[in-house]
Amino acid sequence: MEETVRKIMEPILSVENLSVHFSDKPVLQDVSLSLWPGEITVIVGPSGSGKSTLLRAVNRLNELYPHCRTSGSVRLRIHGESGDVYRGFMALSELRQRVGMVFQTPAVFPFSIQKNLTLPLQVYLGVNGSTLTERMEEILRDVGLWEEVKDRLRDDATTLSGGQQQRLCIARMLALKPAVLLLDEPTASLDFKSAARIEKLLLNLKRRYGILAVSHSLAQTRRIADRVCVLREGRIVQELDHEHLRDPDAFQTIIDVAF
Amino acid sequence: MKRVSDRIVTGAAWLSGGGLMLAAAVVIGFLILRGYKNLDLALLFGDTPWQAAIMGERPVFGGIWPAFMGTFYLVFLSSAMAIPIGIASGIYLAEYASRRLRSLLGFFVDLLAGTPSIVMGLFGFTAILFLRKTLLPEAQTCLFLAAACIALLVLPYVIRITETSIEAIPEPLRLLGYSVGFTRWRNLRSVLLPLASRGMLSGAILAVGRASEDTAVILLTGVVAHAGIPGSMFDKFEALPFRIYYLAAEYRNLGELDQGFATSLVLLCISGTLFLIAVCLQKSAEMRWKRR
Amino acid sequence: MFACNGNVETFVLFRLSDKSEKWIEWILLIATCISAVAIIAILSLLVAFCLPLFTLGRIRGVLSSQWQPSGGYFGILPMCAGSLALSLLALSIAFPAAMGICTLLHVLARGVFNRFLLATVRFMTGIPTVVYGFVSVFLLVPPMREWLGAGTGFSLLTAAFTLSLLILPTIVLVLHARLEQIDPILRLASEALGLTPIQQMRHVLFPVASRGMVVAAVLGMGRAIGDTLISLMVAGNAPQFPVSLYHSIRTLTAHVALVVATDSRSMAYQSVFAAGLGLFLVTGLITLFIRKSGKAGREVRREKGF
Repeated sequence: MEETVRKIMEPILSVENLSVHFSDKPVLQDVSLSLWPGEITVIVGPSGSGKSTLLRAVNRLNELYPHCRTSGSVRLRIHGESGDVYRGFMALSELRQRVGMVFQTPAVFPFSIQKNLTLPLQVYLGVNGSTLTERMEEILRDVGLWEEVKDRLRDDATTLSGGQQQRLCIARMLALKPAVLLLDEPTASLDFKSAARIEKLLLNLKRRYGILAVSHSLAQTRRIADRVCVLREGRIVQELDHEHLRDPDAFQTIIDVAF
Repeated sequence: MKRVSDRIVTGAAWLSGGGLMLAAAVVIGFLILRGYKNLDLALLFGDTPWQAAIMGERPVFGGIWPAFMGTFYLVFLSSAMAIPIGIASGIYLAEYASRRLRSLLGFFVDLLAGTPSIVMGLFGFTAILFLRKTLLPEAQTCLFLAAACIALLVLPYVIRITETSIEAIPEPLRLLGYSVGFTRWRNLRSVLLPLASRGMLSGAILAVGRASEDTAVILLTGVVAHAGIPGSMFDKFEALPFRIYYLAAEYRNLGELDQGFATSLVLLCISGTLFLIAVCLQKSAEMRWKRR
Repeated sequence: MFACNGNVETFVLFRLSDKSEKWIEWILLIATCISAVAIIAILSLLVAFCLPLFTLGRIRGVLSSQWQPSGGYFGILPMCAGSLALSLLALSIAFPAAMGICTLLHVLARGVFNRFLLATVRFMTGIPTVVYGFVSVFLLVPPMREWLGAGTGFSLLTAAFTLSLLILPTIVLVLHARLEQIDPILRLASEALGLTPIQQMRHVLFPVASRGMVVAAVLGMGRAIGDTLISLMVAGNAPQFPVSLYHSIRTLTAHVALVVATDSRSMAYQSVFAAGLGLFLVTGLITLFIRKSGKAGREVRREKGF
């Protein structure tokens, strides 16, 4: 069943033969993977294997760093049109609105909770007044933060707990109506309970978005992943799907071998 | 709409950056253009033979030699006062002072750093008035007074840089000496001060640079236009920055004007060089701890 | 038992240093107190020389609006206004320029140009004030006189341009240092939101550094008020209220320099002490403000666990 769905639907994101060099040092080599909407693909691998670089290659964030060279293609599919983001498919700014990203440490701006959310809306969409408030409430409900913060929207966002901050970051990203979400170890800096909430949120979100995540925890990977890519020394050495994920021991063995 | 405002801001940013570089280039280029042809021995010594001038056998009238020597003495004297005191204070604030004392004394250092140089000069001037009324009716503004006031002016630089270069030493190294049983002073002398020496040197050089360029202090504390080389610390003196100021306002012929440009160029070279050395030292001192 | 040579030496050393340690600490403390003593001495001398103004009731004469020593008028209010006008004007030129330069340094310019720009800014802080003044007299004053018809060319506007060049590097460096401290993750996050470099600067980096911007502006203002040479050399020194950009003005600092340099009667001197005391107090307040806001900033950082 699943396979047939996959064959009918085109991937929302497909990475083909992607290589990234930092000052002539290869970090990613010949990586290919595809992402379908409704699925969470998790990248695992030892530290330094290029997981974050892979995520950042998708929204071209690597270009912020000097001496970075990228080859291969990253094709994105938006509204039935698809194209290579490295070959002028869309403007950089639009690409980053379409491909949202959340980091390991919650990167809230040290402004009010409200402003964290409204800033991108105002800057891009010119949304103002009541529309803005409605949109904000809608998104905050989406990430389950509304009840917790509705009375303190003007408080500094840095006064929130780590888990709340991370959900605010997810909300900020969703505000721009992205198609793909990139999550770089989104629960690594959080306690168990907050992490569990975020996982639940992600399982909810995957119906609407294609999600590409990096995780450091194998247990978490088993809980949320539909597919797993094992990355080692810049190459994908193994791809796993539901079958492998069902049996914890088998999964563990495969991972042990792959690492 | 957004793109337009982006473009305007971008344009304004490049304009201000370009304006700054242009201004710097114009200041330096103009001085070089107008001043370089007069950079010769006659600029320094006028008509006096240079050997005789250096030996002090004959006074120099046309040249800037007396101003040069005046500035040299001034910088030497003020550095001799400010650098040891500044380093000692920096050490005390960084290593000895309790938190409250440090905050209190640090406030005074900040106040001193914020005091305008004209106020420092006025302080020297009132000190002389005060001495005249009380102990020394003969007291007058002089080289020593100017040097003391300049020393107060540059003291905060030395203190702050000494303090920060000691504090920049990573914690494990700061405790290293204690861990092998050194006393506080011994740890300072054999571990901390050698490690902080590059930063401290940059502070001293910065102080020398500042001392050589300040004009407002000496204006009130004993500089005069034609003093010649001071015979003692209690004489009036000349100085390069004052000479420039004086020539800008009171030049009588083109020769003097040219001398003004050449003197500005000399002063720019002196303090510019000192400043660059200080900044380079400071950078290399900072890099040292960042790399680890 | 302690016959071992090393042990004996350590023992002696310890005895010696125990005593000298105390001495050293005292010497260092005394050296540190010199700064404090200097501040107290400056304040008390200036106050002492200002006292006759109050005891003899001449303070109203000094705080009046006319300066004409020959006619017995010793008001320094025009100079206060001159100082204020000049430094505000210089700041209003320099501050936006500093914001522009920081935008270049942080999001627009890259690589060699970036480093060169920063090096130029650093180098400019090393250019002697008197050199700025000198160049300005021969490069800025004549065009002001001829093109703008600004009287003699020695005017408020001329001085403001020159002074803005003097305080610009200070403001840029303070602002730049504050912007450098911003957690790189914020930059990354705003980049990931797709904000253009300018939008990042306007909506994220500058707002985050707002306190640093205030400190930079106040510091620049302090330097502008305290500067003597530029106003002395190019502002024209006419003791009148600043009514137009093209008129000559006199600042408090230049006033002090001028009156002390030209022998005057005692009342003129007293007005100078009042000017000096005023300058000292204003810059002292500025220092206090900067310390307070610096502290607050540090405490906020500590709360957030940085």
